Amino acid sequence: MYQLKIDEKEIEVPEGTTVLNAAKMAGIEIPTLCDHPALEPYGGCRLCLVEVEGARILQPSCTLPVSNNMVVKTNTEKVKDARKFVLSMIFSERNHFCPYCQVSGSDCELQNAAYGEDMTHWPIQPNWQSYPMDASHPYFVLEHNRCILCRRCVRACAELVGNFTLGMEERGANTMLVADLGVPLGSSSCISCGVCVQICPTGALIDRWSAYRGQEVDIESTKSICVGCSIGCGIEVFHRDNNLIKIHGDWDAEINGGVLCDVGRFIPMDEKRYRVVTPMVRKDGLLKAATWEEALNVVIDKFNPLMNKKDDGVAAIASTRLPADVLYYFKQIFAEKFGSEMVTSTEEGRFTSVLTELAEEYGTYESKLADIHNADTIMTIGLDLTKDHQVAGFFIKRLIPEGVQVVPVSYEASGMDAFTSHSTIINRFKDLNFIQAVEESLAGNDFSVSAAKSGLTVEEVIELKELLRNAENLVIVYGTEFDPKHKKETINALIRLAKTLNAKLISPKGNANSLVAEQLRLNKPIEVNGHQAAFVAIGDEEPAQSLIQKLEGIPFLAVQASYQSALTARADVVFPVATWLEQSGYYVTCDGQVQLSNESLQAPVDVKSNKEVVLAIADRLKMIVNPVWDKAIKLETCVVEIERSIGRNEELNYE
Amino acid sequence: MKSVRSMVLVSSDPISMERGSDLVYEKLQKEIDFFELGEEISLTKVGDVGRHDALPIVIIYPEATIYGPVKPEDVHFLVEEHLYKGRVAHELQAAAKELTGKIAWVNARKGTLPAEQRIVLQRAGIIDPENIEEYIIHDGYQALGRVLSDMSPKDVINEIKASGLRGRGGAGFPTGLKWGFVAGTPGTKKYVICNADESEPGTFKDRLILEGDPHSVIEAMAIAAYSVGSDEGIIYIRGEYLLAQERLKKAIQQAHEYGMLGKNIFGTDFCFDIHVHAGAGAYICGEETALIESIEGKRGEPRPRPPYPTTNGLWGKPTLVNNVETLANVPAIIRNGAKWYRSFGTPSSPGTKVYTILGNVNVTGLIEVPMGITLREVIAIYAKGMKNNVSFKVAQTGGSSGSIIPASLQDTPMDFDSFSNAGVSLGSGALLICDENTCVVDLAKVLQNFFRKESCSKCNPCRIGNERAYQILENISQGTGTMADLDDLATISDNMTEMSNCGLGQTAGTPVRDILNHFRAEVEAHVRLKVCPSGVCPMSGKRI
Amino acid sequence: MSKPKVATDWMAGCAGCHMSLLDIDERILELLDLIDLRASPITDLKEADESGVVVGVLEGGINNTANEHQAKLMRSRCKILVALGDCAVFGGVPAMRNFFTLEESLRRAYIETESTVDGFIPTDPELAVPTLVRAVSEVVPVDIHVPGCPPNADVIFHVLSELAQGRIPEVKDENLHWH
Repeated sequence: MYQLKIDEKEIEVPEGTTVLNAAKMAGIEIPTLCDHPALEPYGGCRLCLVEVEGARILQPSCTLPVSNNMVVKTNTEKVKDARKFVLSMIFSERNHFCPYCQVSGSDCELQNAAYGEDMTHWPIQPNWQSYPMDASHPYFVLEHNRCILCRRCVRACAELVGNFTLGMEERGANTMLVADLGVPLGSSSCISCGVCVQICPTGALIDRWSAYRGQEVDIESTKSICVGCSIGCGIEVFHRDNNLIKIHGDWDAEINGGVLCDVGRFIPMDEKRYRVVTPMVRKDGLLKAATWEEALNVVIDKFNPLMNKKDDGVAAIASTRLPADVLYYFKQIFAEKFGSEMVTSTEEGRFTSVLTELAEEYGTYESKLADIHNADTIMTIGLDLTKDHQVAGFFIKRLIPEGVQVVPVSYEASGMDAFTSHSTIINRFKDLNFIQAVEESLAGNDFSVSAAKSGLTVEEVIELKELLRNAENLVIVYGTEFDPKHKKETINALIRLAKTLNAKLISPKGNANSLVAEQLRLNKPIEVNGHQAAFVAIGDEEPAQSLIQKLEGIPFLAVQASYQSALTARADVVFPVATWLEQSGYYVTCDGQVQLSNESLQAPVDVKSNKEVVLAIADRLKMIVNPVWDKAIKLETCVVEIERSIGRNEELNYE
Repeated sequence: MKSVRSMVLVSSDPISMERGSDLVYEKLQKEIDFFELGEEISLTKVGDVGRHDALPIVIIYPEATIYGPVKPEDVHFLVEEHLYKGRVAHELQAAAKELTGKIAWVNARKGTLPAEQRIVLQRAGIIDPENIEEYIIHDGYQALGRVLSDMSPKDVINEIKASGLRGRGGAGFPTGLKWGFVAGTPGTKKYVICNADESEPGTFKDRLILEGDPHSVIEAMAIAAYSVGSDEGIIYIRGEYLLAQERLKKAIQQAHEYGMLGKNIFGTDFCFDIHVHAGAGAYICGEETALIESIEGKRGEPRPRPPYPTTNGLWGKPTLVNNVETLANVPAIIRNGAKWYRSFGTPSSPGTKVYTILGNVNVTGLIEVPMGITLREVIAIYAKGMKNNVSFKVAQTGGSSGSIIPASLQDTPMDFDSFSNAGVSLGSGALLICDENTCVVDLAKVLQNFFRKESCSKCNPCRIGNERAYQILENISQGTGTMADLDDLATISDNMTEMSNCGLGQTAGTPVRDILNHFRAEVEAHVRLKVCPSGVCPMSGKRI
Repeated sequence: MSKPKVATDWMAGCAGCHMSLLDIDERILELLDLIDLRASPITDLKEADESGVVVGVLEGGINNTANEHQAKLMRSRCKILVALGDCAVFGGVPAMRNFFTLEESLRRAYIETESTVDGFIPTDPELAVPTLVRAVSEVVPVDIHVPGCPPNADVIFHVLSELAQGRIPEVKDENLHWH
């Protein structure tokens, strides 16, 4: 611990703390621009300069580590003048006229800093040089005129996302933010994660959807989680008068630390589907608006005679995007009350059922997602983390510059190839041969046949084997996109390999509640032939074409859905339900962490939450349902340990 | 080396080569063979010989006669007269430079080059830089041998500390101290980097050292590596220095062949290897932390300090970064001892300094003189006075770390401390000497223009400050400046010094500060009277 | 003591700042008890009294030679000059044309606008000559900057009532807005 004095305040801080953070601990705010808690200190903007006793010149507090008995002054005239100088320099560089800037009024850190220094005017007038504007990106706009070259976006793109799209070109006053080697953002290697937009301190990067729709102080926000996939990123939903304004990554979220991908940030804004706003019942061949009472009665009347029919009664299919309790109620109604054997999820256990089978053999064998952060070597196989579960991909990509070796194994070129030299392309569906080749070479056996089958040369296998063997913290992130005929065998081989190499195994599975559906064993392949009716709780998921095809011959179809689709078009009854933003509910991430998704928006008047709908059905069937879903999912063997990570101290709320 | 009667040296710096020194060399070879003198005469290409007025130059020893500029068609006559008949071919001689002054002549050079004290450049222009044997004959690798056989790393550092050697890159940091820091940082992997990214305007001393005597730097790096415990060296060289790169690579290869680099050097446990890394033309990459970033493959932007490279340098490892000229001093110090080294220069700045002389003087070129010589002496003795006898007005000492020095300071001894006491700086070793026809506003504008273009743009005071200062200077030179502009200029230049991240920004305000300090009346004439006393500024009345 | 004389004028601006002055509503009566409002777009006197006023208030940036004259006149006739609003303080919206050449802006305004038929750029010698748009402080010294687009009525009231009571107002915290 070091003792130091900041503005006459004595404070003790651990060695290695920066002066900026030490001041924060002492309750002293030092203004900053280029600094951001999620990024490495940079020391570029010079707004945080302080006087340090004994130092020749002013020192940047964001990068300066404390030393013992240091004496720091943060509010002298010299420091204040320095801040004003920095600000007046920035205001004189490009176009920083506030009145028509999207972030003016509270969201602009530059403006806030100027207010903080009581600046009523600019001592030096601007340059009057105009800079281009890059509006080529579908989700956001890069307005160079507002850019202060703080490089927060560049650093976020590199340090948080590992994508290295943004950079700086030229030097001196000609310096410009560029994408790749100076191409428009829209045609660059940008993956639209939008972290740069979220981290930009000024109006240089603004997203098209939220621009000019209100400052953060004027609008409401709700912290929640993204249900776009099973990673479970923390988000902050901004809304105004029940309109969705924007979604930010929650900087405080343990899982993602503020990072989001396009699925969580931009795609919800770009929703083009039409809502179902009222219950509908098919009459004379046409879907007509109905009351809830009417719609529920039609369904109950139709379903009641189908009680206790195992495979010719009601087939029930639920989306894995639905909250955990809804899935549990769903299972109770259709599997227990109706006794139907065709109660499953839209995912059909595609990503999970094999894992359970293996877990029954080996016990819980998967590790936590956070283990990626400590890995020195990472292999990915059977999935493409640049397409799905992208945030997990970011965790991996951003480690590469630190020397972490990343081996993506795939059938074709993938988005990872640009970042690592260990991309391994094998023959389609030859993952098993590939794993065998590595295993055999580790064991010192002849692996040439397996290698050849997998499409790799002997040398390639040796190189890879050495890399994996020398790893101290090897993490294997795997999916299930293997040869369907050898899926289990392949993963089994992977488990063996992981054991040999002392590696950790992680699989991101499917949708947000993929794991819950699996634990409730809603994992059967959909087979509806012979069933007289089907109930599909699709929620806000877009129904897959295959699902619609499978349901084509069903005599009676009831759907609970947020959006109109080909599925609702052929349904006999449609119940309008809330979207993920309009209801609260529990989700369990791919690595078993229980999280609560909060209601950020109000559903339209005649729309009910998914839970209300299933409970209404249970009620009409005079069923007493058990709300304790978390016990239920822990009853069965699970591939990963289920724990309550978010809100650890809180009891789960079953209401 | 066989014994020869005469030694013929052909200058082959880039300018000479451009002017056909290779043809001259080939012709000389032919003519020497023609007169069957091959056995008794050695013919060598050398780097820069320190005179730029008559390139390409041919020097013949032992008479030390300088011929130049020599054209291929002159060669037949030259060989016949001087080498065959033994008479000086007066018609072809370069203009003689008679010298007076307090500095003694080096005997071997009498009548050829200005009287200098050459330590760093002692072999440049004499040996063939592409032949390690010549370096070895001229005491080369002796120092490394002694260090490896008789001295502990600590001894070496103590010797360097005792010599008082200070960094020649501009800042003048004590070299021994820096070596001690790196040696004292625990770590199994350390790096020694030679900073040869010489890009200060008007400075080319490092290029000439590397072109003329590359082994001296290699030997010094090996000594430094031994002292600090490193096994890997990198020479970060300016991308435009193609000849120097080529010669360095050749020298490194030869040093390998002779066992001066590689594994178990001189049969000891000491292993050391050097690679050459070429920069891509950014001035800022001469700043040591930006240089390290550049080697790591990143955009060349200076890092915050602390931590310093001595503890967290290349790839986070302890790293020693020294300038070419600094390193080139090292073998001589080890060979002759710290006491010998201290016999040159001043007590606080021992040794010599290499300067490149440019500007409105009669003779431009490269000199190496003891620290503490005055500007007046340089102009009078080495530069042979001002061109056309126009009187001396200011000198600029090179690049961002340099100062604009008024005539009133021309008797200040040029060493680190005397200069810093006078409020000016020694700079990178360029002496841009300007006469009365130079406008200080224009001069400052040129320098500011350089900085505004070369600022890495990381920190606001430097990026925007330089741009704004340039624009104000431009307005002043257009005759549209205001007195308020002068206040803004002073504020900007002071704040750049106080608030910038690295040496570039911290010194980029110097030109403005210097002209306001020393030539305020002239600047005010631009503003108040709308007149440029030197008649240089356009005074168009157009405000930018 | 007689009430301090206040004169206001507007140059290259939208008059929004004067509208905001009127937004102080009934407090204007309170204010008029304290000050003597002389020349102003509101009062329709053209120029500040030749004998001088205590406070001169300028709205708008300096867009042409006429504005330049106005600013200099006001400066010469007032003791305390207030730059009111973003245009006067920074150049504001009119200054956006500085990012283009004058010719481009004139062509856009007089010829290329969608509603214009057979447009031409006026060249009458009576017209003021357009210049670079500047903040007032670039042409004459300004004592008090009151930014805002427009400054809030409360801010204007605060500034004027402070001045009326012989104090130099501080524009900070709640009263400091650039938008």
